[in-house]
Amino acid sequence: MIRRLAALSRKELRQLFASPIAYVVLTVYVALTGIYFFQHLVSYNQLLFVYQSEGMTGGGFDQGTVPSRINVLNEVFVPSAEDFGLFLLVVLPLVTMRVFAEERANGTDELLLTSGLRPYEVALAKHGVTYAFVLLLLLGSAIYPAVVVLRAGLGMEHLVALVIGQLFYGCAIASLGLACSAFTSSQIVAAVLGYAIPFVLLDFAWLSNTVSEGVAAVLREVALLSHYGSFARGVIELRNVVYFAGVVALGWLASVASLELNRAR
Amino acid sequence: MAFLPAAGVVMILVGVASYYATRSLHGMSAFSAANVAIGLVLLVIGAVAQARRFRGFSGAESRRVVLRWTAILVGALVLVVGLDVWARVMTARIDLTVDRMYTLSDESLLLCKELEKKGGPPVELVFFEDALLAKDVRLLVDAYDDTCPGVKVRDASRREPPQAARDIYTTTATTVIACRGEVCDPVGYPSERNITTAVARFTREHAIRVYFTIGHGEIDLASESETGFSGIASLLRDQGFDPQAFVGPAASEVPADADLVVVAAPERDLMPEELAVLDAYLTRGGRLLVLADAGQRSSFYSEFLPRWGFTLDDAVVLDRASSPLLQDPKPVNLIVHTFAPLNPVTRNLSARTMLLLPRARPVELARKPAPDDKLERAAFASQRAWVSRDVAAALAGKDVEPPDAKDSQQISIVATGLYPRGNGEEDTSHQARIVVIGNRDFASNRLLEALYNRDLFLNAVRWLANDEQRIAITDKAWTPVQDPLTLQTTVAYFYFLAFALPEALLLLGIFAWWRQQT
Repeated sequence: MIRRLAALSRKELRQLFASPIAYVVLTVYVALTGIYFFQHLVSYNQLLFVYQSEGMTGGGFDQGTVPSRINVLNEVFVPSAEDFGLFLLVVLPLVTMRVFAEERANGTDELLLTSGLRPYEVALAKHGVTYAFVLLLLLGSAIYPAVVVLRAGLGMEHLVALVIGQLFYGCAIASLGLACSAFTSSQIVAAVLGYAIPFVLLDFAWLSNTVSEGVAAVLREVALLSHYGSFARGVIELRNVVYFAGVVALGWLASVASLELNRAR
Repeated sequence: MAFLPAAGVVMILVGVASYYATRSLHGMSAFSAANVAIGLVLLVIGAVAQARRFRGFSGAESRRVVLRWTAILVGALVLVVGLDVWARVMTARIDLTVDRMYTLSDESLLLCKELEKKGGPPVELVFFEDALLAKDVRLLVDAYDDTCPGVKVRDASRREPPQAARDIYTTTATTVIACRGEVCDPVGYPSERNITTAVARFTREHAIRVYFTIGHGEIDLASESETGFSGIASLLRDQGFDPQAFVGPAASEVPADADLVVVAAPERDLMPEELAVLDAYLTRGGRLLVLADAGQRSSFYSEFLPRWGFTLDDAVVLDRASSPLLQDPKPVNLIVHTFAPLNPVTRNLSARTMLLLPRARPVELARKPAPDDKLERAAFASQRAWVSRDVAAALAGKDVEPPDAKDSQQISIVATGLYPRGNGEEDTSHQARIVVIGNRDFASNRLLEALYNRDLFLNAVRWLANDEQRIAITDKAWTPVQDPLTLQTTVAYFYFLAFALPEALLLLGIFAWWRQQT
């Protein structure tokens, strides 16, 4: 089974990196994260300048007069990490849309399923390769938070927490996108659904004023963003890990179900 | 009909996006709500239409597969929801922040145990989810909810605060209000220290009463100017103390409800009767905080303090290293970063948590009043500092050259005294205690929040008021370095991160496309 999985994963990887789409997605993501990280850094520097100027402090000496709540963690690190999460949502459906849908449109999915591979193995290989691509995206953009970690003394552990959180979050979005791709032969439909479902699941704050407190609490529990924020702040919570692992598992199961249904049709 | 679901998805997305774009103006607008509602209806109509056309699973085997996988998916969903509920109950977390920002300190946990032991209604932390700082402190507030059985967290909105919190003046920065029954108190900046202090207030029978002597040119607690001291009055109230004025000449003794007395930089002599009242108060196990300023010649310094083991020379401590501070060329603005590690007043201060004490006066130890008394120097000027006895010239910037042969002994600025007078060492609550700080201006409105001045003042007051437990709770550092990148460095990073790296990736993509074509 391992050999079959490895062979299929190699094929998926070759397919992914043979087309320019993977590089375009990497470029767009790294450029977007770089620009936004820079914007946060500039804003933070301006804020520091205002606080350190004579008018604000009355004293005018550098260190210590800036309130501790104005810091690089709250002003740069966390907002950047939140932006990075949104950008993952923008770029990942572009990668996931073709994974299953393309095979189905070309009819190669039937070849796969009659070649001795089980549906769960096919889904496992395709999901695994996509998650590896998510990790690659994150490593490309991890340079920005790493700069803050190294220069501001935040500690490598904090960076580890952020990357773990982004990986969970990215894999959850990718998993939903892959499930959408598995149920259609149209890449456009897969992309639209791959955007729509995570976008609606992103944050239910827009509903909190119109529903009761109990329903709002449930919706908060379902929302992606409410589980992502604590990783950026350096805290790994069991409930968030379970949530993202659950979404990933459900996405994978839905993909397997789609392949099984396709075979049974 | 295939158009309907796509149109539905677009309308839902527009509805949600328009909400996010305009929520600060009017929350959920009719436009957003209508788009979401119509979008949902279109999706349902499209789904029904698709379902009616569905012919894919007409065989018995196909239907079995559909049923099996539907059951598996529903089962998996139920399992995931169950695990999620279990994980919420478990409340396990790993705090990987550099200063363990979101993990309660031992002192806070001790207070939690106290609360649990005392029983009674829980202290409620009303957490305003829509406050300015809510995102920053959510995890900290959750830590109280998870690990402190006597404290419950209640989420609330600033627009509709709970009844008990309605009478309290709040601002957009008010994130947490501590309540017990009908009594509520706002927590200042929602750090662990302030939240724990707010909770601790509900465990006390009454507020700690601090009497400030007045009438001899002491500091003005009402003055809100930069050189005034209204800041420490606000700070004390915020931390659960009750500052009061003590008119020495009019009283035959210190009020019985005094938890401590502060003699803050008297410029004139205290009358002998007043000194006797203070003597009697200390002999009974009273607590005294003294702030002294360079250049003051009150009898309080020359007669009273030596009787309790402290010598305050009429001198000023100078240190050239700190001259650039406060844009003052005179070397009178002392930076203090050496502390006695075991002294209760300075035990949470270190070289990383310095004090700024302008016009500091040396505080040295004299003979012990009794053999069992414990006198200790607590904070020191740097090795390069020296003492000038010509205070007027030094403060005017004239006598600013260090002596050729400087005394190698460290110059003390803060000292403490503990006087176990026949009450037995076991019962520390009745021992007389004195803290002498050879400085006044560190507690002024201008400098109270500079460096760690506030900590020194609160530590002294807390130790004197038998509230040592709270001394060890320091405000944790969000980031050790507050300004890690200059604008120039930022721009350099920007060129690499936002241009060079994406450019390299794009070139790789073009190469991959070219190889595919050939």
